[in-house]
Amino acid sequence: MPTPVSLARQCLTDEAARALDDAVAVARRRSHTQTTSLHLVSALLALPSSILRDACARARNSPCSSRLQFRALELCVGVSLDRLPSSKTLDEPPISNSLMAAIKRSQANQRRHPDNFHLQQIHCNQQPASVLKVEPKHFILSILDDPIVSRVFGDAGFRSCDIKLAIIHPPVMQASKFSRTRCPPIFLCNLTGLDPGRPGLSFPFSGPQDGEENCRRIGEALVKRNGKGKNLLLLGACAGDALNRFIECVNTDGGGILPSEIAGLSVISIENEIIEFVSGGNDREKMGFKFEELRQKLEQCSGPGMVLSVGELRALVDENVSSDALSYLVSKLTGLLEGFRDKLWLMGAAAIYETYSKILGQFPAIERDWDLHLLPITSSKSPIDCFGSKSSLMGSFVPFGGFFSTPSDLKYPLRNVNQSITRCHLCTAKYEQEVAALLKMGSTVSVADQYSENLPSWLQMAQLDKGKGLDAAKTKNDGTTLNTRILGLQKKWNDICQRLHHAQPFSKFDIPQDRSQASIAEGFQYVADRKESSSSSCSRDSSLNENPCANLSLGVLVDLQNVFPKKHSIPITVASEAENVNYQSKLLKEASKSQQKEKDSPWFTHFTLPHMSLPADHTSSSSVTSVTTDLGLGILYASSSQETNTPKLCDRGEHFQQFSGFNTFEFGVGESTSRQILQSSCSNPSSGGHFDSRDYKSIRKALIEKVGWQEDAICSISQAITRCKAGYGRRRGSTARGDIWLSFIGPDKVGKKRIASTLAEIIFGSQENLVSVDLSFHGGVRPSNSVFECQEFNDYDVKFRGKTIVDYIAMELSKKPHSVVFLENVEKADCLAQTSLSQAVRTGKFPDSHGREISINNMIFVTTSTIAMGNIKFQPQKEPIKLSEENILRAKSWQMRMLTEPVAECASLSSEMNVKISRKVTSSASFENKRKLDGITKSAEEEFSYEAKKRAHKVLGSSLDLNLPVEETEDNTNSGSCDSDSISENSTWLENFIEQVDEKVLFKSFDFDALCEKIGRKISVQVQRAFGSEILLEIDDEVMMQITAASWLCTRSRAMEDWIESVLGRGCSEARQKYHSNAQYVVKLVSCKGLLVDERAPGICLPSRINL
Amino acid sequence: MGTNLLEALNVRVVGSGEKILVLAHGFGTDQSAWQRILPFFTQNYSIILYDLVCAGSVNPDHFDFERYTSLHAYVDDLLNILDALRVDRCSYVGHSVSAMVGLLASIRRPELFSKLILIGASPRFLNDKDYHGGFERADIENVFVAMEANYEAWVNGFAPLAVGADVPAAVREFSRTLFNMRPDITLFVSRTVFNSDLRGILGLVKVPCCIIQTSKDVSVPASVAEYLKTHLGGGSTVELLRTEGHLPHLSAPALLAPVLRRALSR
Repeated sequence: MPTPVSLARQCLTDEAARALDDAVAVARRRSHTQTTSLHLVSALLALPSSILRDACARARNSPCSSRLQFRALELCVGVSLDRLPSSKTLDEPPISNSLMAAIKRSQANQRRHPDNFHLQQIHCNQQPASVLKVEPKHFILSILDDPIVSRVFGDAGFRSCDIKLAIIHPPVMQASKFSRTRCPPIFLCNLTGLDPGRPGLSFPFSGPQDGEENCRRIGEALVKRNGKGKNLLLLGACAGDALNRFIECVNTDGGGILPSEIAGLSVISIENEIIEFVSGGNDREKMGFKFEELRQKLEQCSGPGMVLSVGELRALVDENVSSDALSYLVSKLTGLLEGFRDKLWLMGAAAIYETYSKILGQFPAIERDWDLHLLPITSSKSPIDCFGSKSSLMGSFVPFGGFFSTPSDLKYPLRNVNQSITRCHLCTAKYEQEVAALLKMGSTVSVADQYSENLPSWLQMAQLDKGKGLDAAKTKNDGTTLNTRILGLQKKWNDICQRLHHAQPFSKFDIPQDRSQASIAEGFQYVADRKESSSSSCSRDSSLNENPCANLSLGVLVDLQNVFPKKHSIPITVASEAENVNYQSKLLKEASKSQQKEKDSPWFTHFTLPHMSLPADHTSSSSVTSVTTDLGLGILYASSSQETNTPKLCDRGEHFQQFSGFNTFEFGVGESTSRQILQSSCSNPSSGGHFDSRDYKSIRKALIEKVGWQEDAICSISQAITRCKAGYGRRRGSTARGDIWLSFIGPDKVGKKRIASTLAEIIFGSQENLVSVDLSFHGGVRPSNSVFECQEFNDYDVKFRGKTIVDYIAMELSKKPHSVVFLENVEKADCLAQTSLSQAVRTGKFPDSHGREISINNMIFVTTSTIAMGNIKFQPQKEPIKLSEENILRAKSWQMRMLTEPVAECASLSSEMNVKISRKVTSSASFENKRKLDGITKSAEEEFSYEAKKRAHKVLGSSLDLNLPVEETEDNTNSGSCDSDSISENSTWLENFIEQVDEKVLFKSFDFDALCEKIGRKISVQVQRAFGSEILLEIDDEVMMQITAASWLCTRSRAMEDWIESVLGRGCSEARQKYHSNAQYVVKLVSCKGLLVDERAPGICLPSRINL
Repeated sequence: MGTNLLEALNVRVVGSGEKILVLAHGFGTDQSAWQRILPFFTQNYSIILYDLVCAGSVNPDHFDFERYTSLHAYVDDLLNILDALRVDRCSYVGHSVSAMVGLLASIRRPELFSKLILIGASPRFLNDKDYHGGFERADIENVFVAMEANYEAWVNGFAPLAVGADVPAAVREFSRTLFNMRPDITLFVSRTVFNSDLRGILGLVKVPCCIIQTSKDVSVPASVAEYLKTHLGGGSTVELLRTEGHLPHLSAPALLAPVLRRALSR
């Protein structure tokens, strides 16, 4: 993706940006689709006096005239530009990725820039890449790195490395501009024994020549043998080449590449003799003579000794080599080695290990006798060989090489572009340095301040704030301990660390702007949080009952607020103690958390000023009566729960509007109670420490209204919530936790979900504040086309693509800091999710897969699981279930169709009902007993008339009978346990996890039979109305299932009735008109398999019309 | 580098287990590539993470064009890190080039490694007489030319190809780390990689290895995994991963992690 020009311009200083504009103009003129480095070069060269042109002039080394060479350069650039594809003219051809990469590189380079060296030597790696303005010089330097560019320059006879040097070393006359360095910059320190003043600055490859790597290694291996044998066997596909090369090197240039200890070594190869010997003649005499010759040579040999190369060993293991000859050879060599231990090195090569192992097979002692060291040779040639011209790529980086690697300055400034997490120890180190400096000299100028000027405006604001705060603290505490200052430093480094080291990629910097719309109250809140603990509570989620804040009594808040507008420094001083305690331990966590904080800090700065007045208002009101305090808290709450989509909140009036809007929920929670809930959710034992039974009642009332059938569960849920809200929940250390954990255990998926969303509505203001994730999603197979899909998110796939479930949850959590988090099927959570959940329930922070933690304070976590474990057992099902939840969940969302058929044999109508359910037996695991037999003939259609069933099942009186098995012994617990094998490994974790939650809530299974019966009655009434009492409507079991499922799902109480009246009623009357059916016919309602519902009736997941 | 090696290569130790696990990233990535694998192991292992000197996250100044001409220099780095951390035994997971580095390191110091897990490893990328490495010399030269001519285009083409599976996030991540590398270093390192040939020395590896191979890997044909298995000297197993691509730890962490766990426990 090319980058828009405007974005790239932000990274550049004005001067460099002008050059970029010129480049864009060039690209536009040529109708190119992108602006590349070449365009920039072209634009730079077009200027009569640019750095580049100037540098080129000085770097020129060809004999021809400068004018000519420039002409050639322009030509080359032109030709290269001509090759680029053109298209229709764009207004601003965007910046190509390579050019953008060059800009990024130059930012990195500039951070290591010598100009700033003296000032910022320890900090230069901390400026975020995105905010550093690149100077033209660095910009050009990194453009010259671009292979295309250096090739173009090469074509024109320039060497880009020369140009670079020329740019870096401006002529003396121009020294004012670039040579602010106090001492001559020490380049090239990486290069061996380089003396900065040496003329002509040798380039990196002046040392060993091509392919020396292997030779060098061989040489080294000869010298230092750390416990290994002294005689080398080179092993590897290129071992033979390496050996030959080594021999060649040693013999030609006198062993310049050898380590000094063995300089003067000579090499003799007897490879050919050996080959001849073993393959041809087996001429022992000749061979013996050769060895004698060698012996003599060795005796005469002065200097370090001699290397005897036996060459490639493959020759020795050839099939036609007699073992006799081989052993003769080996014994001879062994003898020779023993005779001249100090002077003789044996060297061989084997392309493959098998060769060696064969020899080893024949001569097991050879490794010890020959004192062999196997040296793996892995590269055929040095990569350097492959570069046509060494200068073009290699030399070009010399100027930046090892700038910081002077022995005196061992601190490597590590490049820090994206590697974010590990960085904080750097800051710690810097901070310590500063503290040390402070203690020593009392210097108030901190390095951190120095580069605030490079920060973008919003960061600068923060920086200034910080600085101001620090200064104020200093002046205020003048004469007191250094402690405050140190704390200030801590804080500052903290902030710097967050802001700089964890800078997000460039594009994300607009997030804070959105956030700036967040409410004033939140800003205030944020400030309050900072006072308490700057490190833990800066995340956006830090809301009113974030612990530190919650611990502030209202009185303290008032005080602080009074002071707050006047002095920025107060927060720091107030915080000092708490911070001192917390700081050290928190610093470590910092790294992971700072992502959030980094997002937040910007808007903190936005808020500081405009908010001064508002808190004061609050203060006055809150001190008057408790009612207004309530209101105030309500405002705080309401506004903080508003997401970023609320318009900018500037005046209080709007707050109130929102607040009033906030109370207009439909579910019958009175204004006062809802406020009460709000208050309790915002307050804590110390400020609002009263436990109000109204909370409990209102929650319970609202829940029961929605999910009437789970009364017991609702009772315990509302008790748990009120209990936790009142501060009697689990504790972390001594402070109460703001997060509440509930575990819903048992059947009734819909009921659980609805309770969760209702909780979201009553506690957090809207059903939108529900994060719902099915943890089984990744592993499990989801029934497709089911009725439930209408309700569930169809975009699961889209949401999760390329994300782990944990990251998805984390993302949602950070988006919705005040929400109910509903995690279904927690027993199927994967390992990652398990870890995160365990940590979250323990610490109150939810870590994502990158280790970033999201505060879950103020959230309600609801995990559901269908299985029972440990001491939690479901009550045994007393009554047999006829419709299991499993089957209902499987119900498909097909279209429906009404048709007529001649009356079947059992046409006798019941007295009061003219609806019956026909059933296609499916082989479902949960149907046992007699159904099993039928289950084999899977598609066999069975029809049980209503009457017939009545006989079989007296209990059911007048209602529908679903001709289900008489007894179904298996209860849900067991049906759930069928997959318990797969989750057995999870069960330990699950037990542990569930032990930690605030409340375990047992759910009953939903009474589908009753629902089904009710629906049947309704339909019956409708059918009677349409057809009269003589007509029997036969409803296919699947349709019935579908209707039941939909009815279970729908939230509106009358939705089912409405559907029956309108859709089914219309269907009936249409059918009557069409078929003119008389008593001889049965009307059937069947599902159209394979045809998905295309149009849904309002409020319910059922088709909006019935086909005929 | 010397004393600052740990810092220069961003060595990190995470996790709290007794057993030590080294995760070494491959060409074109940095240690962040393991980010999604980490959580699966932090409980049971102390995990050593580091960046290869060629990674974009390492100060390019450290990349000594004279030194890093073969894989041995990388091996030195690895061993130095392990020594500096006083590791006496560890399991090693290496991806692509690091897999080879691990092999070489285990040859040099077999006692240091209890297990090598090789992801997307290939002893030789170029085809040979009776060896199918997946690349012809000419192809490679073309690739190098392409890299030299337009690094950006190369990255944009290579990243999706290497990642294989349709996981945009992984492609993005890989492109990011690939772009972080300085083009000349990338080129240099890939030459180093393509020039290296470990076939001859596989027999020297005595540490048990587990080769993890995805069903389709543009860089490593399936035959290579078999080749490794038959030639490695320490008794090795091959695990086939039912996903595609050269970077399963980026594209399919949830799939890879259990396999790793299993391989490590054996």
